Amino acid sequence: MDTAVRDKVKVEIEDLSFYYGDNKALKNVTVPLHDRKVTAFIGPSGCGKSTLLRVLNRIYELYPGQRAEGRVLIDGEDILHTRQDLNLLRARVGMVFQKPTPFPMTIWDNIAFGIRLYEKLPRSVLDGRVEDALQRAALWGEVKDKLKESGLSLSGGQQQRLCIARTVATQPEIILLDEPCSALDPISTAKIEELIDELVKDYTIVIVTHNMQQASRTSDYTAFMYLGEMIEFDVTEKIFTAPSNKRTESYITGRFG
Amino acid sequence: MANLALSPTAVPESKIAAIKRGSAGDARFRGMTFVAAFLVVVIFAGIMIALAIGAWPAIMEFGWSFLFSQKWNPVTEKFGALASIYGTLVTSFLAMLLAVPVGIGIAIFLTEICPRFLRRPIGIAIELLAGIPSIVYGIWGLFVFAPFFQSTVQPWLIEVFADIPWLQDLFAGPPYGIGIFTSSFILSIMILPFISAVTRDVFNTVPPTLKESAYAMGCTTWEVVWRVVLPFSRAGVVGGAMLALGRALGETMAVTFVIGNSHRIHESLFAPGTTISATIANEFTEAVGDLYHSSLIEAGLILFFISFVVLASAQIMLRALERRAGGMSG
Repeated sequence: MDTAVRDKVKVEIEDLSFYYGDNKALKNVTVPLHDRKVTAFIGPSGCGKSTLLRVLNRIYELYPGQRAEGRVLIDGEDILHTRQDLNLLRARVGMVFQKPTPFPMTIWDNIAFGIRLYEKLPRSVLDGRVEDALQRAALWGEVKDKLKESGLSLSGGQQQRLCIARTVATQPEIILLDEPCSALDPISTAKIEELIDELVKDYTIVIVTHNMQQASRTSDYTAFMYLGEMIEFDVTEKIFTAPSNKRTESYITGRFG
Repeated sequence: MANLALSPTAVPESKIAAIKRGSAGDARFRGMTFVAAFLVVVIFAGIMIALAIGAWPAIMEFGWSFLFSQKWNPVTEKFGALASIYGTLVTSFLAMLLAVPVGIGIAIFLTEICPRFLRRPIGIAIELLAGIPSIVYGIWGLFVFAPFFQSTVQPWLIEVFADIPWLQDLFAGPPYGIGIFTSSFILSIMILPFISAVTRDVFNTVPPTLKESAYAMGCTTWEVVWRVVLPFSRAGVVGGAMLALGRALGETMAVTFVIGNSHRIHESLFAPGTTISATIANEFTEAVGDLYHSSLIEAGLILFFISFVVLASAQIMLRALERRAGGMSG
């Protein structure tokens, strides 16, 4: 746990419970997310890892009947507080979904859209920011000649990198990735993983994945969840080589889940 | 397991006969669907030809002037359809102007804002609005709506726009109650359910994750609707609006009741006017003389043509929109 002690904590999730109506999907989860590190959440389907992600930007609030209890502190500030401005929170916490979701507009507009939500910039500056975001998502080379084409004209892997670029462009502090590669082919997956390695220099990244190799390759910390409970959280290397919990061991070795 | 062999000789006779019967039936079915589809084209052409033949005497007599003259005089047998063409276009345009924003607003409310328990009641109420027979709109418009407009809305509008150039002419007195303006209003209520029901349905086809990702960027509901939901579903929205426009252009009964049936073009929207369908409905039974008869049929032919042009230009507009969006199909 040496590195764990040294890294600054960006987000403290404390005693977090989550309800879909009467169904308790998260049971008193406590876990830290470290600044400018990748934290992976693994566990079988329905264990609550995606739910946890959806609490961090409070996107669950779109649906009546879903509620969270406990505390989620970002830089020491509880975002579950009713007075928390949701748009401001989502400006700080970006999210990329399982399926690519390019907006029905041009590639350029897909990126500029998010920037324009928060900043009024002259066209020339905006152009620079769009290029920068696409560069960071390793997509610039592939799309620079067709910025005026629809975002939907891209391949699945390109669309997903467009969504990452779109998120990066708004300059959030935290990026949530909800199984970002599960709909992609291996080459696109590799590109996204390289991208995560690059982005973590500037952003705190949280990734939910079903792919054990992906968790071990991309993350610094790993949390294993099961049936809404946090079973084990540690440095990734430790989780995958010497887990302290029996269930963690059986899951990562493929004996259940 | 020999009967599972792939060799055709292994297929029993009975099975082959069944397959043959099946494919003969398939051919018959294909023929029937083709005839059904072809019938549409035949009927379309038949109506066109019948109208053209009926309108021929008037076309020969008046030529192009039929389109540009607002003289409509059964006594001297001089006919021009300009007033009714104008009335048709203006009432439909105004009805769309009023109904499209409101209809889309209703759809946005129902899909994005409305509490779940209110969605069904409001949705059903809107669909019921579409089920009200147009004659009911007509008598309601004549006996309730027009007097109300005459005593309240119209005097108010006349006063408000009194000093604004151009608009003061559009909203000039006297307030008759019935007229182009009232007809447009009734029409807009009639086409509202089409627009809102179709728009709501296409809004519901927007994938939830697409909306979530817009919200996740910090968009407000307005930004999500305006920048994501509407662009994603615009083909359907335009389609719904065109359906409504088609209805507005051809709507007869309610309009006939409240438009005033006057073959004169007035600058003021409060003045009485007429539409093609109202003219035909009103005058067909009393049309004595071949030329009168023929002129009414030619008016019908023109209405047919207007509807066709409107629908065709909607298609062209839609395609242009899609090209500008970069060849998206959504």
